[in-house]
Amino acid sequence: MLEIRDLTHAEDGVTHLDHVSARLAPGTLTTILGRTGAGKTSLLRTIAGLLVPDSGEVSLDGKSWSRLPPWKRPTAMVTQQFINYPHLSTLDNVAFPLVRKGARRAAARESARAMLDRVGLSAMVGRRPSELSGGQQQRVAIARALVKQAPVLLLDEPFVNLDYKLREDLREELVDMLRNESGLIVLYASTEPREALSLGDRILLMAEGRLLDDGEPQQVFGAPATIEAARVISDPPINILPLTVGEHVAAGPFGAQDAGDLTRDLAPGEYRLGLRAADLRPGGRHVARVVLSEVSGSETVTHLDLAGFPLVMHEKSVVTHPPGAEIAVDANLARGFIYGADGTLLRREAPHGQD
Amino acid sequence: MARIELDHLAHSYAPDAPDPAWALRPIDMVWEDGGTYALLGPSGCGKSTMLNIISGLLRPSQGRVLFDGRDVTALDTGRRNIAQVFQVPVIYTSMTVAQNLAFPLVCRKVAPAIIRRRVGDIAERLGLAPHLQRRAVGLTADQKQLVSLGRGLVREDVSAILLDEPLTVIDPQMKFELRKILKQINEEFGITMVLVTHDQNEAMTFARTVVVMNHGEVVQAGTPQDLFEHPATTHVGYFIGSPAMNFVEARLEGGMVRAPALGLARAAPEGLAGGDLTLGFRPEHLAPDGPGQRIGGRVTRIWFEGLEEVAEIARNDATFRARVPSGMFRIGDDATFALPDDRLLVYREGRLCLAGARPAG
Amino acid sequence: MTHQPLDPEPRAPVSRTLKLALKYGFILFWSAFVVFPFLWALTTSFKDANGVTNGATWLPWLQYQPSTQGWASLFGGPGGTNIVRPYLNSIWVTLGASAVSITLGTLAAYGLSRFTFRFLFFRNADITFFFISQRIMPPIVLAIPFFLMLRALGLLDSLAGLILVYVALLMPIAVWVMVDFFNSIPRGLDEMAWMDGCDPVTTFFRVILPNAVPGLVVAGMFCVIFGWNDFFFAFTLTFTQTQLLPVSIVALNSSVTPWWALSASALVSIAPLVLLAFVVERFLSKGGLAGAVR
Repeated sequence: MLEIRDLTHAEDGVTHLDHVSARLAPGTLTTILGRTGAGKTSLLRTIAGLLVPDSGEVSLDGKSWSRLPPWKRPTAMVTQQFINYPHLSTLDNVAFPLVRKGARRAAARESARAMLDRVGLSAMVGRRPSELSGGQQQRVAIARALVKQAPVLLLDEPFVNLDYKLREDLREELVDMLRNESGLIVLYASTEPREALSLGDRILLMAEGRLLDDGEPQQVFGAPATIEAARVISDPPINILPLTVGEHVAAGPFGAQDAGDLTRDLAPGEYRLGLRAADLRPGGRHVARVVLSEVSGSETVTHLDLAGFPLVMHEKSVVTHPPGAEIAVDANLARGFIYGADGTLLRREAPHGQD
Repeated sequence: MARIELDHLAHSYAPDAPDPAWALRPIDMVWEDGGTYALLGPSGCGKSTMLNIISGLLRPSQGRVLFDGRDVTALDTGRRNIAQVFQVPVIYTSMTVAQNLAFPLVCRKVAPAIIRRRVGDIAERLGLAPHLQRRAVGLTADQKQLVSLGRGLVREDVSAILLDEPLTVIDPQMKFELRKILKQINEEFGITMVLVTHDQNEAMTFARTVVVMNHGEVVQAGTPQDLFEHPATTHVGYFIGSPAMNFVEARLEGGMVRAPALGLARAAPEGLAGGDLTLGFRPEHLAPDGPGQRIGGRVTRIWFEGLEEVAEIARNDATFRARVPSGMFRIGDDATFALPDDRLLVYREGRLCLAGARPAG
Repeated sequence: MTHQPLDPEPRAPVSRTLKLALKYGFILFWSAFVVFPFLWALTTSFKDANGVTNGATWLPWLQYQPSTQGWASLFGGPGGTNIVRPYLNSIWVTLGASAVSITLGTLAAYGLSRFTFRFLFFRNADITFFFISQRIMPPIVLAIPFFLMLRALGLLDSLAGLILVYVALLMPIAVWVMVDFFNSIPRGLDEMAWMDGCDPVTTFFRVILPNAVPGLVVAGMFCVIFGWNDFFFAFTLTFTQTQLLPVSIVALNSSVTPWWALSASALVSIAPLVLLAFVVERFLSKGGLAGAVR
C-alpha cells in the first residue's frame, strides 16, 4: 500500500501540490488526469524522490520515505522525454539497474534480453538508443523500468511525444506488459480524459495542485464531485450553465419549456447545471451560430454560440456545419448534473438509455 | 491564390544509388485554389518532404511543381509567395509583434500607411491586437504561432499557406483556439491551405480533403467521410478511426468472400481473383440490432471511455471490436451485433476491391 | 518515366568549368599558403650559413648543399644546446598539469552545472565567470606573486613548482569547456541514473563522464596546447636546474642568428601538437561527438 499524505509544494508563488493525499493498493493502475500544470508531474516526482515537498509524506507499507533519496527508493519511472543512456547499447541500458543492484553482468544481460523480448525489441539489442525511433526508445525505457521489479512504477505521459496511432497501440501493449507483473502499484499521468478512463482501475483528478476527485472511472465520470472535476473529466467539454430556480426557471439560454422536470425537489435559488455535449441535439426551437465543427472518426463535435452562451454539441455522425452557419438546437436538460452555487454535486445525471 | 499541381513528383535523398530509397514516390496531384488539405501519416511517411518541395525548401530529384500552370520547381522559396508555419514558432524575438507582422511588407518597401492598416487588420483577425506593442519574446507558444501565421497572411500576394505540424508545441487547451482560428482564416481569405499532421482528428477537422500517406506514397485522398467509410487500403482503415477498423482473413468460395472465423460472408465483386483476401468493417458500424448479417462472440475486454465503451469480442480465435453504450456488457457476456452489408468491405492484398454491393440471397 | 527538372537558367558549360577551376584553384592556393612556412622551415633546417644567405632555394643538392648543422646543434652540437632534457621536461610538465587541471576542472564544472551555489550575491554563473576571468589577466601581473609563492615553498626552478603554476593557469580552461558541455547534457539523465540506484558520485563516474568524452577531449586539447606553448612562466620561474623547451630554444641565439638551428627547433616544438591534432581529428571525425541524448 502506497500512502501519500498531505503533500504540499509551492515554488515562485505557484502551487504545484496542494495537500494531496491518496492511498494506492498493489495490483492497481491509477491514472492521474489533469491539464498541463495541474501538478501531475510534481506528484510523480515527489513519489520518486526527485522533488522534496514543503510538507507531507510518502510511505510504502508503513515505512516513510521522507529521508530516502531517489536512489534508495523502490521506484521506477518512465518520462515524457525519451531518456536512455546514450553510451550504452539497448541491452546494457536495460541491464543497467540490475548491475547497479549487484547482479553479475551475464545474469543481468539475460534478464534484460528476456524483458526486451517482451516489449518486442529482441532485434534491437545491439543498437544504441540514438539509432532507435521514438516509439522504440520508449519501449527500452519501459523495459528498463520493468526489469527492476520495483513495487512502484511511475509513468509520466510516456507516449505524448509519439504519433497519434503509435500512442494508441503502445497504450494497449503497456497494459499487456503490466498484466504479467503482479502486485505492482502503477501511476500513469495523462491529459486526455479518454486515455485516463480506459486505462485505469482508478482515477485521480487534479487541477492547480489540488485533488479534485478520486475513484473508479465509472464513478468519477458518472458523478464528478465538483464542477471543476466535471470539466477535467469531460471530452468533449461539458456545458456548464447558470441555473435559476424560482418563479421562472432559466438555464442559460434555455427556459422553463426545456427544463422539464429538471427542477423537481429543488429549492428556489441559484445553481449550476452540467450538461453533456451529447445531450444537445440539432433541431428544436433555439437557433445557434456555429463557431467551429470538428470531425473525429464517426463523430462531430460542434462549438456553438447561443444567445451569447458558448455551447458544445456532440453528434454520433459525420456532418458538416460551416463556421458562421445557423442551426437549430435542442437540449435535454433533465439529463444534466446539478451543482450547488458552491460547486458541489447535488444531483447526478439521469442514467442514459431512459428516453 | 494558387492552384498547385504536382507533376510526376518524386524525391530520394540518394537518387543515384542502385536502389534509391524514395522518401516520396512518384505522384501526380492537383490541389485546387482555395482548398484546405491535410497531409496525414505517421513519422517518416513523406509528408514533410512533400511540403518542403512545394514550399521550395527542397529541390525534388524528379518531377515538377506548378503554381497556376507556371513551373516553379527551380524557383526560390522567396519567389513562390508561400507562407510557411513550422512546428516551432519562427519569430524575430527582438522585435515587437507589430514589427514582426510588418516585416514582410517592410522588406517589399510598402508604404507605411498601408503597412499599418494590414498589420492592424490581420492582428484583429488573429486576436493579437492587444499584444501589438509587446516584444515577441514574451509571448506564449500559441501566440507565437499566430504571429508566424500572421506574417504569412499580411502579404496580399500569398499563394498558399503551408503548415508543418503547427500545433505540436501548443498546450492542449489552446489547440482548439488555434484550430478555430485556422479554420476561420481559411473560410474568410480563401487561400489554399495545406496542413501536415500525424493526428487524424486535426486532419479531419481542418481539411476538406485529407491525403493519407505512408512510406512515401499517397495512399488515399478524399473527404474525411470518404476516408472513414471507404478506406482504400487496410492501412487507411487502420490509421483513421479510433479504434481502428476490424480486419479478418477471408477466402474466396464460389462467388462469395467468406471469413469463417467470424461467420461473415458477402458476394465477391466481379472478376475477383483469389489470394490474400481480407474483410473489413468499422466498430462504429456494428449496431445492437438492425439490417445486415449477425456477428457475435464472447466479450473478452472492455475499455471504458465515458458514455461509450469499446468492447473486444472473441470468436474462434478471431477478435473484433465494437463501440457500445457504457454498461451494456460485462466481460464474459455473449454479444451479438448487426452489420449492414454495405459496411462490409473486401480487400485484396490490402487494397479495397468493392464497396456497397449487396450479397445474393 | 523520369522527367528531368526543367532548368530555367540554362548555363553555358564553359562557365561551369571556370567556376570549378576557380574553386579548386583557391583551395590549392590557400593550402600552399598554409603549408609554405613549414616547408620553408624544413628546408632551412638543412642548410648552413652559406645556404641561408644565398637566397630562397628549395631543392637540396641541386640548389644548395644540405647540412645537418642545424639539427646537430639541438643535440649538443657546436654552438648549440641539448634540448632532450628540456623537451622531456616540457612533456612532463604539460601532461602533468593538464591531467590535474582536467581532473579538478571537470569535477568543479559538474558541481557548477548540477548544483546551485550561493555566496552573498554570487551565483553559479558568477563563480564560473570567476574561473574564466583568470585567463583575462595579463601574465605579467601574476609573475611576481607566483615567483614569491614558489620561493616561499622552495619550489622555484622545479618541475613540481611549474606544474602547480600551470594548473592554476589551465584549470579555468577546463572548467570553461566542461561547464558548457555538462549543461548540454539534460538533467533527466542524472535523474534516470538516480532512479536506477546510482548515488550522485556513481552517477557522475558511470553515466555522465562516459557521455562527456568529447568535451574532455576538447578541454584536454586546449590545456595541452596552452601549456606546451607557454614561454613567460617557463622563463621567469626556472633558471638552471629545470629548463623547458621554449626557453632552451631561445638559448640558441648568438651574435649570428642561427636560422638553421631555429628552424629545426621550431619543427621539433610543434611536432607533438601536430601529432595530437591528427589523433584528435580522427577521433572527432569517427563520430566521437555523436551520442547526445535526443
